[in-house]
Amino acid sequence: MADALTQLGFASWLSVLIASIIKVTLILVGGSVGMMFLTWYERRAISYMQDRRGPNRVGPQGLLQPISEAIKTMTKEDATPREADRIVHFLAPVVMLGATVLSFAVIPWGRMFPVDLNAAVLFVIATGGLHSIGMMMAGWGSNNKFALLGGMRGVAQLISYEIPQVMAIIPVVLMTGSMSLQKIVEAQNDFGGLGWFVFSPVGLLGFALFFTASLAEGERTPFDIPEADSEIIAGYMTEYSGMKFAVFYLSNYMSNLAVCFITATLYLGGGNGPGVDALGGFAGGLLSLIYFLLKSFALFFIMVLIRATVPRLRVDQLMGFAWKFLLPLVLVNILSASFWVALLRWDQQWPQLTEWFGAPSTADATNWGRLAIAVVLTLLINAGAVALIMRLTNRNVQKHLYTTDEELALGLS
Amino acid sequence: MLKTEELQINIGPQHPSTHGVFRMLVTVDGETLVDLKPVFGYLHRNHEQLGEVNTYLQNMPFTDRLDYFNSMVNNHAYARAVETLAGVEVPERAQYIRVIMDELSRILNHATAMGFMLGDMGAWQTALLWGMREREKILDMFEYVSGARMMCNYCRFGGVVRDIDDWFITELKKLMQGLPHYFDDFEGLLLNSEILLARARNIGVLPKELALAYSVTGPVLRGSGVAYDIRKAEPYAVYDRFKFKVPVGTVGDVYDRFLVRIAEMRESYKILEQAIEQLPDATGGFINPKVKQQSLKAPAGEAYARVESPKGELGFYLVSDGSGSAYRYKVRAPSFINLSSLADMCKGYSIADVVVILGSIDIVMGEVDR
Amino acid sequence: MTLSHLATEDVFVVERNDADFRAGQGMTKGLGIVFRKFRKALFGKPNSDRADTEGQFNVQYPEERLVLPEAYRNMPILLYDDATGHELCTSCFQCERICPPQVIHITQAKDPATGKPVPAAANFVLEYDTCMSCGYCAEVCPFDAIKMDHDFELSTGNHPELDVNYDRLLRPISYYEAIAPTMWSDVKEQAMKKLQNNIKRRPGAIGRDHGQKVKGGAAVAVAATPVAGAAPAAAAKPRGPVAAIGKNMPEEKVAKLISIRAANAAKRGGGDAGAAPVAEAAPIVETVVDTPAASAAPSGPVAAIGQNMSEDKRAKLEAIRAAKRAQRGE
Repeated sequence: MADALTQLGFASWLSVLIASIIKVTLILVGGSVGMMFLTWYERRAISYMQDRRGPNRVGPQGLLQPISEAIKTMTKEDATPREADRIVHFLAPVVMLGATVLSFAVIPWGRMFPVDLNAAVLFVIATGGLHSIGMMMAGWGSNNKFALLGGMRGVAQLISYEIPQVMAIIPVVLMTGSMSLQKIVEAQNDFGGLGWFVFSPVGLLGFALFFTASLAEGERTPFDIPEADSEIIAGYMTEYSGMKFAVFYLSNYMSNLAVCFITATLYLGGGNGPGVDALGGFAGGLLSLIYFLLKSFALFFIMVLIRATVPRLRVDQLMGFAWKFLLPLVLVNILSASFWVALLRWDQQWPQLTEWFGAPSTADATNWGRLAIAVVLTLLINAGAVALIMRLTNRNVQKHLYTTDEELALGLS
Repeated sequence: MLKTEELQINIGPQHPSTHGVFRMLVTVDGETLVDLKPVFGYLHRNHEQLGEVNTYLQNMPFTDRLDYFNSMVNNHAYARAVETLAGVEVPERAQYIRVIMDELSRILNHATAMGFMLGDMGAWQTALLWGMREREKILDMFEYVSGARMMCNYCRFGGVVRDIDDWFITELKKLMQGLPHYFDDFEGLLLNSEILLARARNIGVLPKELALAYSVTGPVLRGSGVAYDIRKAEPYAVYDRFKFKVPVGTVGDVYDRFLVRIAEMRESYKILEQAIEQLPDATGGFINPKVKQQSLKAPAGEAYARVESPKGELGFYLVSDGSGSAYRYKVRAPSFINLSSLADMCKGYSIADVVVILGSIDIVMGEVDR
Repeated sequence: MTLSHLATEDVFVVERNDADFRAGQGMTKGLGIVFRKFRKALFGKPNSDRADTEGQFNVQYPEERLVLPEAYRNMPILLYDDATGHELCTSCFQCERICPPQVIHITQAKDPATGKPVPAAANFVLEYDTCMSCGYCAEVCPFDAIKMDHDFELSTGNHPELDVNYDRLLRPISYYEAIAPTMWSDVKEQAMKKLQNNIKRRPGAIGRDHGQKVKGGAAVAVAATPVAGAAPAAAAKPRGPVAAIGKNMPEEKVAKLISIRAANAAKRGGGDAGAAPVAEAAPIVETVVDTPAASAAPSGPVAAIGQNMSEDKRAKLEAIRAAKRAQRGE
């Protein structure tokens, strides 16, 4: 875009500035409109699952409902507790929203990238990590011990699930050989646009782990302890009302949207799909955008489906799930990803592979033998690991402070 | 060893999951619960005192408002108490009608109670709304026959106020066609769901001896392993003519109470089938015509009548002094008695489990506070 | 201790799933069920039959409404005969006696000539805000005069409006017949017979007129509108404020009522009845504002002096307040 503007006659620095401003505006607008659409989408979808129609009064099919909600939140009183730390209390939602919007900078919309960074994956991970700061600021700045406890629990959840989330991206990086999102998308373009990573055993497990960890990062059921209103310790958002609360809500949905986009990019091939390359040019770009949006919203639909079905985990079960179940599996997944990469691409490092199975695959010729062996081996490793860890982590025992006999003996009852 | 401090937290009375205005003073040590004190009385409406001022008939609509989910059952129990006191006979058809209404109430109560508990657990009201759909169908039928959906005011002394006709029976049969699908869907959705198992198994264990010591009744007692059901122990209305089983749990945790309630819904379905089949024709009448409802004067004496309400044993104790209203009127509310076991059920568990355990007892504050 | 009177074949132990955690089959099955519901609700037909368990079961109120059954009861109404205009209520006080929350207040009509009670009600006030809609009044009425209405859209911001008086309670029999045909046809014969007996015992001038001849004149259908815009009624205490004069009353009736009231006022010696009876049929409201706030809460906010207060009362109130202020030393 900057080049186009320079050609029109603007000075080079001016065209870059204008291009950046346009992109930022588009992202902010697109993100907000996307978030509003997501709230509508979630409410309608969950209603149909519950045998009822969702909001359908405000505007055609209820599409203007998010606007009426926005007006409602803006007209509510914005009360700050008297003893609260005013600056921290004010900045907490800003930090959370800022972190979310930042991550939108590198998400490819179909084949179009706002900013193409070499280390885009690292950028996404880094901005995702800023959420915990915002949450801690919210909990601390409210001067409410329950908000503080809720904030600390929320932060514990976020940082515990960040590790599996991040490490689930590593296989993708290994398989591609680069951290740039553009290259990751391009690497999934084989087999007529359907060579997505999710179709390989490594990618499948990685997708499941990344998606589950992202559910927890986005505080969706079954991991929505921080915003659960039926848990007794109120969440970190207790002392927020009015527009500040709406900003938390906004950042929550935008981060879920961002996560859906990123999952679609990393595992489901981004804008790739049958026919994109064939069309090429503007039409191809448009088709890739449509594919991209379809994939993301299908992923969001799965999030909504899980939300409608599944009760939430208790906080200790949640932490146990992250550390004892997800973490070993991501490590195993990295191991199998390395086997995958070795089997498919190593010829210089391990010449015996070329001797036994032939040359590695190229863009035009696929070495089916090597591919088959890679698939079988990684499948065995992944499935075996899943079964083993499930067996090792099952817990059917509840801790009880006193046993019943002790209780009766102590006269506690 | 680190010495931890105990923290006293107040849950409620204004809280989305306390099933009404109910307050719990909870003492926690870290995350583990050490003590729990229930505080209630926020919904006290002087019901028993009003029962001494009202005549027996005038008191019937007030009994609707005790367990406001199951007004038919409250009416039934109160009518039985007065009928015992005054020595009034009830024709057979009226007994069958009362049984049908009771079992429909049981189905709708368990459906909504479990739906609410799952909503508290975080399964965003999906199961609740499916249960509400069945409940709406049943409430429509209550409205047809008694005039109101919830505050039915349906039983009179010696029968019921209005007979059920063919429309009612047809619609009831249609409703029963759909119920097994609802039961299957509900079971499939949640019964073996791993997260539900993780949150309900071995939580809130109430051992058998404690349950008996607290005189807990209803699904809570049966979940703890005691096979006691008033419909079998002291059959009233025409329950001795039906073949049905009583489900019993083993461990006495939340999961067992869940399973017991689902099983009870299926047994109620069987009772309904048999009741429709055995329903006598209209020759016997649906009300005892000799009873003067408003001017009913019971001879001096006392009577206690109890029914198996969906929440437990609902009993009405009446002492009469020969006039048209009671001298002493006491309601044995199952939720109130069951609540006394809450503290012991919750000790030693995490504080997040308290809400789940409370939901599994299935209380309604109208009964607890009267 | 044997609690169980149950034979063992009557008891069955529920099957628990005590297995260790599996690979999420339970959750997947649940997800499948919910997805199936989603599909059926979005693309299938709505839930219209009691046997349906899938599909949307919304009713888009207020555009679509469910049909209410005949027996539905919400707030009582009083009936009057379309043909003659006579109300069926004879002021027998049965409903007032049986009402559990005691919201019915009836004043029996008296023959103006002889002063004897006649089978008609002079005033009938029902407190809608406290009525439980239990239906006992309708059950017990021997003359089928009071019945339960089906109207539930009664929300209002004007609380005094919910003390409903006779004019607003009356509905023609045709209205009730339209909402509850079988229930009315069951009792129609006996009700009309009793009504004829009662009409004979009522002198001609008593009984509400709805714009037509009272003594069995030409039968004209009357529109079923309660008197809209009637003044908010005050509770019918025996010596309290007077009810409004209805808009549709014929001239001679209004004149008669005014004369009766004037006679009563003269008997009482005047003073507190500050209402000025008006010749036109404009609603009259007399609000005798007793200001307890002035006496009870010395330093709290003082209630406003009512608009319709008589002059001497106003002066007295001002004097009291001035004295209190002096006392407080303001």
